[in-house]
Amino acid sequence: MANLSVNICGVQLKNPVIAASGTFGFGREFNELYDIGTIGGVSTKGLTNEVRLGNPVPRIAESRGVILNAVGLQNPGVEHFIEYDLEWLKNTGTCVIANVAGKTLDDYKTICEKLDGKVDMIELNISCPNVKSGGMAFGIKPETVEEVTRVAKSGAKNTPLIVKLSPNVESIAENAKAAERGGADCISLINTLTGMAIDIERRKPIIANNTGGVSGAGVKPIAVRMVYEASQAVKIPVIGMGGITCAEDAIEFLMAGATAVQVGTANFTDPYAMPKIIKGLNDWCDKHNIKNVSELTGTLQLNAR
Amino acid sequence: MKDYIAKIIKNEKIAENIHAVTFDLGEIANVRAGQFGDIAVGGTHLLRRPIAICKTEGNEVTFCYQVKGEGTQKLRDMKVGETCNVLMPLGNGFFVEENEKKVALVGGGVGVFPLISVLRAYAETKEISAYIGYRNKGAVCGVEDFEKASKFVAVTDDGSYGEKMNAVQAFSKDLENGNIPDVVLSCGPTPMLRALKTLVEEKGLPCYVSLEERMGCGIGACLVCVCDLTNGKRARVCKDGPVFNVKEVVL
Repeated sequence: MANLSVNICGVQLKNPVIAASGTFGFGREFNELYDIGTIGGVSTKGLTNEVRLGNPVPRIAESRGVILNAVGLQNPGVEHFIEYDLEWLKNTGTCVIANVAGKTLDDYKTICEKLDGKVDMIELNISCPNVKSGGMAFGIKPETVEEVTRVAKSGAKNTPLIVKLSPNVESIAENAKAAERGGADCISLINTLTGMAIDIERRKPIIANNTGGVSGAGVKPIAVRMVYEASQAVKIPVIGMGGITCAEDAIEFLMAGATAVQVGTANFTDPYAMPKIIKGLNDWCDKHNIKNVSELTGTLQLNAR
Repeated sequence: MKDYIAKIIKNEKIAENIHAVTFDLGEIANVRAGQFGDIAVGGTHLLRRPIAICKTEGNEVTFCYQVKGEGTQKLRDMKVGETCNVLMPLGNGFFVEENEKKVALVGGGVGVFPLISVLRAYAETKEISAYIGYRNKGAVCGVEDFEKASKFVAVTDDGSYGEKMNAVQAFSKDLENGNIPDVVLSCGPTPMLRALKTLVEEKGLPCYVSLEERMGCGIGACLVCVCDLTNGKRARVCKDGPVFNVKEVVL
């Protein structure tokens, strides 16, 4: 048995496998299938200050090897989460990461204040449109990444702050550095890539929102490359995600520089994906005589060119 | 709810573009009428196909599906002996109360298959009238099951089988004749459900409809397959449904 535990910003995770936000709700449904206390952590459904109903349906489409989604942050609001779900989720024994989103800088600050000290970590979704900058997402430009991080951190004084980076940017390394400058304790990436899928009979996009976030196995090489570039650019820990389906995929991300990984779309294909990945990590480590999974982080050796 | 490694024991065409696949689950699954299964077709298809459970018998479960896109084409081409992961049973299903003796089933298109599961569950204890609409004669299927109902009216859009009308019109006509059910259960295309909603509201009949929506996880976690409720909230079709009281849902 290898030691699968990892430490991120002082938070000890049983293993480096975390449920990705938006694919796992607050964990209750998957807990009907297996004990979610066995997974490293749960990044909750994106929380906002107010109740959100989200986008119209259809909210999902499939393309070979990937899916597209545009749920639009439907959630019961952060206060409802704190009152009705947080205690339950904590009691499962998994690490609780509250994923949060906002329309304004002030939103980010107040939501972080509400959660500060109550959850193990806070993860910022900065792919939301910034009302002040004409709807361009906070996560696009390094300047706004830094600003939103700084404001959020001022609300999350006692809770490690993860900034979840968007891949739809000019330079992932620059945005990673911007988050670090803004006071992020950790970064996670990649959020979904913006895409479109068309129903050719109707000549219309399948998703009601027209565009959706692309995720799933097909995005993995892009994600691995970005995790490598981001982890080279910063000193803070990195959580990698994007298309992880099996333990071998997770190991790629660890080698590229991630301390832990998140699994999202694979939960839809196989609801037992995460327990299988955790077991697979242990088996791989045992087979390769690796005592601590954390030894794998950043061990990638580039080819000589 | 369990993710079965289900072995295909039959997979054949039953009507134009409609196929039926029967799996051996290796054990008896406790299924309620109107529940569904989420079938993994594998390969590059990352989403499972949520399909209504049509029949269960011992260890066997049968799903009927329309071949529409690449995923259902892949399912159609799977051979006897191959296996699929099938997560089931999912959703709430139809439930007929003790005091509801007369049940009307109103179905159209692929919506007829969950109604077959109702018929099989309640045919012996309830008086069931089935009003089923098909596109045309080639699309007609499930007749051997619906004939077990106390009354079965099959109609088609083009009149090539039964009268030329839709299922709601057939049901309405029978209501005029005084055949009034205690409860109406329905599944079919949204325009059909809308017409039915208008009719049952006018007649004051309780009615439950099974909805269809593109799904993500299938178990209620991802909030992909929502529908609007009349109270301004949204519900998950996969977990809170797929069956809703027609009064409570916006169609």
